[in-house]
Amino acid sequence: MSYSEREALSGLITTLIVLLLFLWRLSVQHDAGLFDSPEALQTWARSVLLLVAISIGIAIAVAISFHLGHEILTGEKPDDRRDERDHLIERRALTWAWYLLSFGILGVIVDLAFGATAFRAMNLILGLCAVSEIFKDGFKLWLYRRGA
Amino acid sequence: MPRIENRIRRLRFDAGEMTQKDLADRVGVTRQTILAIENGKYFPTLDLAFRISRAFGVPLDDVFTFHDD
Repeated sequence: MSYSEREALSGLITTLIVLLLFLWRLSVQHDAGLFDSPEALQTWARSVLLLVAISIGIAIAVAISFHLGHEILTGEKPDDRRDERDHLIERRALTWAWYLLSFGILGVIVDLAFGATAFRAMNLILGLCAVSEIFKDGFKLWLYRRGA
Repeated sequence: MPRIENRIRRLRFDAGEMTQKDLADRVGVTRQTILAIENGKYFPTLDLAFRISRAFGVPLDDVFTFHDD
């Protein structure tokens, strides 16, 4: 497994952990009735900001564990080389993830036009960001496994 | 449909069983990229194609052949 492949896998795991953490926090706040007040969006935004900070720490920890684990298991010397194929795969995955996000946001705008609340729209957009990130890393892994 | 074939596996064998890793190090890419090129799953840029042919000391069309079927 190359450096870029490990990076995609660790990115995928990080996003899944952060998404689960966020869903758990949202459900706790929802059960506590925090989203029933007029400050619901502020509460939500603070949670997102906190999670962004936490996710940076999680990303670093997962990436380090992955690279260290690979080095210990395979005995290979660390090699963070990225070449033209890595850049091509990155571009292809980013392009498709960008389409997914763009059409998703368009869908959220349509949802808003038909009466969805701003709170629902913000949650959908955040969810779309997570889904497109998962799609990007998953697609990269698929391309690497396929050999493209 | 046009096909591009390569003789990298053969050339590595002729070069004293040069490993994919050795070739990758010589041309500055990952071993996985050499593997993908050998298997015809990835077509390198001209820049990399020339670097590969230079690594074997042969002209480019000794490494890659284009078939316009």
